Amino acid sequence: MNPEKIIKNINKISKKIGREVRLMELCGTHSQTVARYGIKNILPKNIKLVSGPGCPVCVTDQSDIDIIVGLANAGISIAAYGDVLDVPGNIMSLSQARQRGARVFAVYNVAEVLKLKEKYSDIVFFGLGFETTAPATAWAIKKGIIAYSLHKLFPPAMAALLKSAKTKSTSPQPSPYKGEGDRIDGFINPGHVSAIIGTEVYKKFKAPQVVAGFEAQDVLRAIEMLLAQIVRKEKKVENEYCRVVKKEGNKKALDLINEVFEVGDAKWRGLGEIKNSGLKIRKKYQNQNAEFIYCDLIEKLRSKIIEKPSACKCGLVLQGLIEPKDCLLFKEICTPENPQGACMVSVEGACNVEYRYNNAKCKS
Amino acid sequence: MWNIGIIMQNANLKMKNNNLKLKNKFIELEHGGGGKKSEELIAEIRKIIGGGKNNNWKNMRDDGATLDLTPTLSLSRRGGKYGRDAKFCVSTGALKCNKLVFTTDAFIVDPLFFPGGDIGKIAMCGTINDLSVMGAKPIGISLSLVIEEGFPMADLKKIMQSIGKVSKETGVPIVTGDTKVMERGKIDKIEITTSGVGLAENIISNGGAKAGDYIIVSGDLGEHTVAILSSRFNYKSKIKSDCRSLTKEIQSVAKYLNSCKDPTRGGLAAILNEIAEKSNTKIILDEKILPFKKETIAVSELLGIDIFSLASEGRFAASVSSENVKKVLKILKKYNSEAKIIGRVEKGKGVFLQTNLGSIRPIEALNGKLIPRIC
Amino acid sequence: MCLAIPGKIRKIKSEEIAEVDFDGLFKDVNISLVDAKVGDYIIVHAGFAIEKMEADLVADIQGYLRK
Repeated sequence: MNPEKIIKNINKISKKIGREVRLMELCGTHSQTVARYGIKNILPKNIKLVSGPGCPVCVTDQSDIDIIVGLANAGISIAAYGDVLDVPGNIMSLSQARQRGARVFAVYNVAEVLKLKEKYSDIVFFGLGFETTAPATAWAIKKGIIAYSLHKLFPPAMAALLKSAKTKSTSPQPSPYKGEGDRIDGFINPGHVSAIIGTEVYKKFKAPQVVAGFEAQDVLRAIEMLLAQIVRKEKKVENEYCRVVKKEGNKKALDLINEVFEVGDAKWRGLGEIKNSGLKIRKKYQNQNAEFIYCDLIEKLRSKIIEKPSACKCGLVLQGLIEPKDCLLFKEICTPENPQGACMVSVEGACNVEYRYNNAKCKS
Repeated sequence: MWNIGIIMQNANLKMKNNNLKLKNKFIELEHGGGGKKSEELIAEIRKIIGGGKNNNWKNMRDDGATLDLTPTLSLSRRGGKYGRDAKFCVSTGALKCNKLVFTTDAFIVDPLFFPGGDIGKIAMCGTINDLSVMGAKPIGISLSLVIEEGFPMADLKKIMQSIGKVSKETGVPIVTGDTKVMERGKIDKIEITTSGVGLAENIISNGGAKAGDYIIVSGDLGEHTVAILSSRFNYKSKIKSDCRSLTKEIQSVAKYLNSCKDPTRGGLAAILNEIAEKSNTKIILDEKILPFKKETIAVSELLGIDIFSLASEGRFAASVSSENVKKVLKILKKYNSEAKIIGRVEKGKGVFLQTNLGSIRPIEALNGKLIPRIC
Repeated sequence: MCLAIPGKIRKIKSEEIAEVDFDGLFKDVNISLVDAKVGDYIIVHAGFAIEKMEADLVADIQGYLRK
């Protein structure tokens, strides 16, 4: 599998297709790979890659940040994965709460929270991420950690996205996309989410899909496989990452998720509230559910949330409706050091990636 | 370190969004990260302090500020045997120098002791290297300590021993200093500030890269950060901090270097962008010959940290003309067999990586806040 | 952050924890989500092994990663 051969073949197929093809990488790490290896610069002109909603930090709703910041400001110790700390809520981010005296810890692994708990017995772990990080949070809850779960399920978001793709756009702002037919011609499905949930679940989506690994060659190969499907007018699920991803997924991890969590509704930045797309802590573990323990406080915080008007267009970026550079704030006011939206915070966010690996620059 | 982008003399450095500086009511970690936010803060501080214009100091945005001693010294010898305009040279051992270089740096490290060094060794090497990359030979260092009440005397002794060791090995004396102790909890263990003065015959600027030059490094990069992060996250590896003095290495090739910098905070990405910007040139690195060990790559992958921003504390990168590059590498390889060419300088702007796929992508200088990324 | 590189299990330290080798960097990983033994290659996400990597494909992958 040599990359030059793949690139040659991609060129050949895309000539055959002729029209513009839009492929969406659903996972943030894929966006990162695309940028890191300058893949957009070697693709034929009619092949466009757009980033999707697969960066867990990016799809976190401001109101959820407001709640966790509220808990931190009320004196409760909070632990969260590093990236989450800088995501702006309507009032402030967790980092800014820490600057003002709140006890906020960045962790890399949920096991670190167990250690922190020895010193700060009230510590709440801010559980965030897709099916990949949910088992770790479930494991921690079983070990006695208190958590606030914002875990999300990937397939419902994909369903919502496909629906909005068919109806062009459900968002209040009109889509600038003026192409023909489906807005997205094919999807590069996430690698690690798929390692947990398997590939069968994607079959219900009628679109060309390839589950891919995270190396440059993986992504190139996925693009090649998608283009081949498009030529053959197929809409099926293929697995490029078969060295890791199994058809049935990881049963142990799925069982653990099931034991601790139940499915509930969740709010997604950009996509709005999606039914049955979140993971809530089961009643059995309610004494470790921050939402239950602090329900009065959370209720109070929720009633005080005022949506701050912002020109930030993360929501549209996440759906592949616009590119980061189409946002007025991009690079002018919104930078990785002064992020206005979540897509600029995470290193996997479409805006952050575009900021760091600005492709236009390479052509100058 | 004030040297990173100290004043906005350079009009094109001015941020478009000036009003943002005032938006921060509190100091954030990024303000100390060595990135754009640090630059903004330093510019703001400069503005408040004022001055800094009507003096003869130069290179105030570099690793060390420089002062040409010629006018001062020749004045005192007016009419003497050197004549009014003759250069007066101060003799400092092997070097004849008339330019004073001055630098200062505050050191905080967590953990204090790590594979390959400790906070004392870094405090010495950091300042010595800041002088060295300017082409100077360090002649004296000041040492200030702020220590937390209850700090173990044995640890302090260890730190002082390694400071003494570097001083002895490099022949750079500690000539003055200060010690303060703070109440327990008011400071985290220990903070060390060193300032240093050195003398140089020729200042190596970081704005001297020319199209056609090669970019070289004095060894593999990033191992200091790898050692620190490994200690912090309980990783085990053979990698030790690359912390060491660069004086001899740089002095041995100084006359061939068009520009030179040590990739400390902000890493290779930060210094190459600085060199490219100040030299008005473009730098292109080749992914096939990058100066990173496999363990370093693994750390950067595991923690999601950009490999080009990993810090080294005893390496330098330089641009050298094509006729001198072989000579320089031959000399540098005596110090470190991994010294090598990693890229080239061309006409244009920016720093780029030529990937193994044959594509080109930019290497941006980012903030130095090395926070592991998970999502 | 999905971690592309596989780790190789060096030592099983307890029921849940194994020491894993990532290209010369050794790190403890929680292996409670996989049935892994010494010598297996695993994919790690946020400190947890989430899946094993097919042994016959590892060499292939490492080969082309190094190119």
